[in-house]
Amino acid sequence: MSNDTKQDKDNSQPDELETALYKKREKIYPREVHGIFANLRNLAMVSLLGIFYGLPWFNYDGHQAILFDLPARKFYIFGWTFWPQDFIYLTALLLIAAYALFFFTALAGRLWCGYACPQTVWTEIFLWMERKFEGSRQKQMKLDKQPMNGEKILRKGGKHTAWLLFSLFTGFTFVGWFTPIASLYGDIMVGDISAWGVFWILFYGFATYGNAGWMREQVCIYMCPYARFQSAMFDKDTLLIAYDEKRGENRGARKKGADPKELGLGDCIDCKLCVQVCPTGIDIRDGLQYQCIGCAACVDVCDEVMEKVNQPKGLVSYTTQHQLDGGKTHVLRPRIIVYATLLMIIVGALMYSVATRIPLELDIIRDRNALYIETDEGMIENVYTLKVINMSNDPQTYRLTVDGLKDIVLENKTGDITVESGAVVEVPIRLQVDPMNIKTASSKVNFSIQSLSNEDIALTQTGRFLGPR
Amino acid sequence: MTTENSVQDENNISTIQHMISILWPSFLVGSLTTILFFTFFDPNDLGMISGYAELDRLAGYSIGFFFFWFLSAISSALTCYFRQPCSRTNNPRSN
Repeated sequence: MSNDTKQDKDNSQPDELETALYKKREKIYPREVHGIFANLRNLAMVSLLGIFYGLPWFNYDGHQAILFDLPARKFYIFGWTFWPQDFIYLTALLLIAAYALFFFTALAGRLWCGYACPQTVWTEIFLWMERKFEGSRQKQMKLDKQPMNGEKILRKGGKHTAWLLFSLFTGFTFVGWFTPIASLYGDIMVGDISAWGVFWILFYGFATYGNAGWMREQVCIYMCPYARFQSAMFDKDTLLIAYDEKRGENRGARKKGADPKELGLGDCIDCKLCVQVCPTGIDIRDGLQYQCIGCAACVDVCDEVMEKVNQPKGLVSYTTQHQLDGGKTHVLRPRIIVYATLLMIIVGALMYSVATRIPLELDIIRDRNALYIETDEGMIENVYTLKVINMSNDPQTYRLTVDGLKDIVLENKTGDITVESGAVVEVPIRLQVDPMNIKTASSKVNFSIQSLSNEDIALTQTGRFLGPR
Repeated sequence: MTTENSVQDENNISTIQHMISILWPSFLVGSLTTILFFTFFDPNDLGMISGYAELDRLAGYSIGFFFFWFLSAISSALTCYFRQPCSRTNNPRSN
């Protein structure tokens, strides 16, 4: 375990151990970094936060464009409306998410962790706010060492106020994905919001403040399930961030213009900037570590340093194990092909199924009391209950027809079936057939329902008609 | 990390870490259970049956979530409790 506490020893004070939630940890002060990957990370952060905070405010066709309306039990995604009966799509989406994660992990390592994970994204914006109030890494460290004074109270207080306000807004937006955000906003403005609404805003806000402000890298190291199993998807061709040991060692400081070969030194000048920028506080030069979230901050900073000392970039870089061993990287390999194929099949199936989805469901339930009844007229009668579920956005009236047996008689006292949007209506019906027309003990009959206002909304289900043999 | 080390760590972990190792996995399982359960059951219907018709759906979901979280937490806590070797709890004077 000493491994975890030895890092960054030169830069932060070991006596300044903070009682963290998980264990005694040295507070990590990630240094600000600039470069191509930092720009990419910022771009990802701005777009993802933009989606999270902005999208609930867009409307489509008279409703919030994307709304997982839990109180109304329906999900709006632009033109589509999904009901609990559409659970299969959620399952498909989860499968897609899982396979996409497998695919991208095998291909590019911890891409998700470094750029897209909410934990990373919110930590990043919280770090940005921290820098606005407390200044650079050195200033933050100095401020923490200072005894409490007016300036410290002001800076720390300002930071926490900003964090808390931002967290509250985050909690509000989060709830706005599940209840209409515009009316939620209105309710808050007039002070008439449900107790549970307030509770969830505070709950999620507090989680944001705790995770992005205080827990930070500990969430990745101790709590994240993905971080624990992602290495199972790694192979020798997976993109990872690594230090080129052959080129870098022996590391060591040197005078400007000195010949490293003469001094027996490699390219690493041991400036420790890669350690200072690391959000999880590891030293990338110690090799591949499970704490590394693949954010590439060390790549950016090392490239900057290498440029300054007139050495080629890439001492720390995105690479693969094969490349490090002097071989070639194979992008197309069985694992990638299998993941990609599975992913495409599920995505294709989901898209096909959503595109051809009919917002109507018909369940046929046979009467359990009798297999069949012989009526006074000598007809064979079967009794059913039909369950009609209208999953469209408007009330619909459906006409029911039955065929499959010669001269089949449908006795439907309800007549045309009117169902409100999102509602279920049960219709008891009787079918009668002359025994002359029954060939087998169990025959197929087709129940068709057709919306009277929209000819695209129609459905046929097959049921069983039982008779004597 | 050697086995000896990890056993030592297990003894040394703080109460708060114990708490989190119980509350966090049960939070994940509780969330999943809530989603699955309420996909199939409408809290309004359940409220009607059980005589709490005045509860709205959001309240139903919330209570359901905490209920499932609580149940999972009991399970996690029991797991934590039973994975301690018996000798430690049954032999207080062995040292």
